[in-house]
Amino acid sequence: MTDRFVHISHLTKRFGDHTAVRNVSFEVPRGSTLALLGPSGCGKTTILRCLAGLETPDGGTIEIAGIPVFDSAQRIDLMPEKRELGIVFQSYAVWPHMTVAENVAFPLKVRGMGKAERLERASRMLDIVGLKGFEHRSATLVSGGQQQRIALARALVAEPRLVLFDEALSNLDAQLREQMRLELRLLQERLGFTAIYVTHDQAEAFGLADTVVLMNQGAIETMGPARDVFRRPATPFVARFFGLNVLEATLLGRIEGTPYVEVALGAHLTTRARAGSGLVASVGDPVLACIRKEHVRVEQAPMPDSYAGTIEAASFLGVAEEYIVKIDEIAIRATRPAAGFARGDSVHVGMSPDDWIVLQPGETA
Amino acid sequence: MNTGAQGRFLQRALPIAGVTIGVLLIAGPFLATIIRSLLVWDGDSVAIEAGNFLRLFGDPRFVSAALNTLIAGSCTTILALLLGFSLAWLVARTDMPGRSWLETANLVPFFLSPYVGAISWIYLLAPHGGLLPWLARTYLGVSLEWLDIYSMGGVIFVLTLFYTPYVYLFVIGPLRQMDAALEDAARVHGASFWYTLSHITLPLVMPALLSAGLIVFVTSAGLFDVPLALASPRGIRFMPTEIFSMVQYPSDLGRAAAFGIVVLTVTIVLTLLQRRFIANRRFDTVTGKGYRPRQIRLRTGGKIAALTLEAVYVGGGVILPLVALLMVSFSKLWTGRFLWRTATTGNFEYVLTKYDLTRTAITNSLFLALVGATWGVALAVLQSYYLTRGNPKRRALVDALLSLPLGIPGIILGLGFLILAIRTPLYSTLTIILIAYIARFFPFATRTVTAMFLAINPELEQSARSAGASWLQTMRLIVLPLLRPALIAAWLMLFVIFIRELGATILLYAQGTETISVAMVVLSERSSGYVAALAVVQLVMLLAAFAIMRLTRTSMSQG
Repeated sequence: MTDRFVHISHLTKRFGDHTAVRNVSFEVPRGSTLALLGPSGCGKTTILRCLAGLETPDGGTIEIAGIPVFDSAQRIDLMPEKRELGIVFQSYAVWPHMTVAENVAFPLKVRGMGKAERLERASRMLDIVGLKGFEHRSATLVSGGQQQRIALARALVAEPRLVLFDEALSNLDAQLREQMRLELRLLQERLGFTAIYVTHDQAEAFGLADTVVLMNQGAIETMGPARDVFRRPATPFVARFFGLNVLEATLLGRIEGTPYVEVALGAHLTTRARAGSGLVASVGDPVLACIRKEHVRVEQAPMPDSYAGTIEAASFLGVAEEYIVKIDEIAIRATRPAAGFARGDSVHVGMSPDDWIVLQPGETA
Repeated sequence: MNTGAQGRFLQRALPIAGVTIGVLLIAGPFLATIIRSLLVWDGDSVAIEAGNFLRLFGDPRFVSAALNTLIAGSCTTILALLLGFSLAWLVARTDMPGRSWLETANLVPFFLSPYVGAISWIYLLAPHGGLLPWLARTYLGVSLEWLDIYSMGGVIFVLTLFYTPYVYLFVIGPLRQMDAALEDAARVHGASFWYTLSHITLPLVMPALLSAGLIVFVTSAGLFDVPLALASPRGIRFMPTEIFSMVQYPSDLGRAAAFGIVVLTVTIVLTLLQRRFIANRRFDTVTGKGYRPRQIRLRTGGKIAALTLEAVYVGGGVILPLVALLMVSFSKLWTGRFLWRTATTGNFEYVLTKYDLTRTAITNSLFLALVGATWGVALAVLQSYYLTRGNPKRRALVDALLSLPLGIPGIILGLGFLILAIRTPLYSTLTIILIAYIARFFPFATRTVTAMFLAINPELEQSARSAGASWLQTMRLIVLPLLRPALIAAWLMLFVIFIRELGATILLYAQGTETISVAMVVLSERSSGYVAALAVVQLVMLLAAFAIMRLTRTSMSQG
């Protein structure tokens, strides 16, 4: 049984001639988390702002906890303050003219709670986010990471039904970001709020959300459980967004009774590969063959079913090394633990049919 | 090497020279006023004592002038803050119809002469022969006779019209650049629109409002033009007009200087307080993400209210005075209404071609504005170089010193230069007026140029030096071209200020060195037609400068 807590249906938002969000629908079950993932300008932040009531959509409906907060047909558009949400912005938006405690207690103050009680609850919330004892500091005199925690405490203090995160971790440095990601996940499980995250960072999306919605140019490109979205890219856009090799190929034939097809990349490289969902190409048609960089094995010695290639470029990344390997005229990117190959070295390249996925070329290049 | 040492000498000496001239221009009249305020003549012998101050404080005219000035300054400040913030907020944050046009219209009073504004409002609202009471009586059957422009209320009204753009300019930037998330977060977390405006937006622009409030208070309280036109005829005393009458025959320079010192002390204390306050609360309102603040959609009622406010402000500050001024300038004899059949261009012919006083005044004003603006900008470039590239330890002090004249009333500085020049050949020359203008107003130019200088990466100059250019060549080929928009803006600003200046000139002019503003004061006793025609001539010069400023700003944003 899914208790659909947030339900967005046929949401459309235009800015002048530009359609920022195009007919988007999805739902979020109570107590679950969803990430809106995508490159900048894909419309993910606009969806979040429509949810919060900070933008007025041009069409569609938004329902939170069974109550319509926006409905273009019925002319319902609840003010932001009537939606009872929490929000954390990328810039933290901590008010510089208030103390830490005043910032956190603000949602309780505007709800009419007495001073003693709201400061007490703000203190408890600050304790939870790890800022015990910061109550009377000036909000601008703390570090970025601490401002982030203030913003989080402020978003949670009134126990809102839904908490929105707009690129909430993007301004933190890498180490702090990872730490906050784990803490946020734990906090969400402990307090049980429903959360929607907007992010351009796939690690953040996968780390925080049960469901991932990948957006492209205002529309949903793919959505589903985080693992599925990542493991089986649904479209060439998804494959490119997750950094897979996406190579032009020709469909040679389907292998009856199996999910496999045969494709040719260039003149000499042919391989068996998994057919992606929605592959409708017939024999001889152009398709796209995709493989994750980590799945391209580069070795000095030949392996079974491997191809001879040459290192075109090598870059040292610390733990791993990234190579561009040329097999005839085909250039493939590969990542592996540092092996010290240099440009011009002859190597052998192994790729398993199960790691290849063949997709229908779309109009989005 | 000889040339190397020479280059280095210029690079250090020229900016220091600029700063030194600035400091001398301020210190000269300042010290002269202090010394003069302590000198008391008794027959032929001079004593240093506090007699001037004692006589001043014991004088009921001083008390009433000080009190009236405080009342007018405070009321003007409060009204200008309310009006300036409202107008800036409407233009920056709402979808008020015509806001791109109104954005410029709200600034026009900034460029007009307060003296001309005051006399235009006399034409409009004088108890006898005012245009508006006549219109109201004839067409609406309403009596407006109780509205008297010659009053404390009239002074505050006209001052508010002219000082609102200061507030507007100070807060429109912060309102535009503020991180939208600060307000959005309040809304999402349960605050209503009005609660957010009063508890988030307003506190965030408070530093800008306080700065604007201080500047409006000290400059409006120190303005000579409006009390001269609206308060003096009824014998209502104000600080600037009181100092002016102390300098008139039989003059009492000592008492005037003592009054000047009182005003200077108040001004400097206020400025220091404001500096401390601003330094204590630096609000970082720059957005991390860079989406612009949400535009607030006004309902029909809101739009009507917004446009009414704009109509009152632009109507009262620009359109009505302009209409009245044109009517009077084309009337043979002003009787409170315009009659087409007696319309004449005679006033213009007279002031432009026939009358020596006005012809000289126009020439003098143009000379002072053109030469003064050029010298002022040259000085500003050198000072800005020092303030952005000079000795980092001394910069803050130099900046504070050079900003002093910003709050000093023109009449006080004029008094200082009068005391300095009185028994020298400079007395009653255009040169002393020119020096006083530059001394009073160069900080405006220095501020503008410094702001732009800060935006120029020093590496651009260092690259030029590495490429083989001398310091002078670098200034000429790299720095000055990059500064050009600021130089134009600063020059035009000084031009506008100098064309309409009255407070300092009124103490320093003599026969033959009258300016347009002085000629208007002199003629105001005789013919409103000549005054209005002269005001229109001045207005054309001011609006031309304003138009050039808007045009160059457009090309700046396109380039």
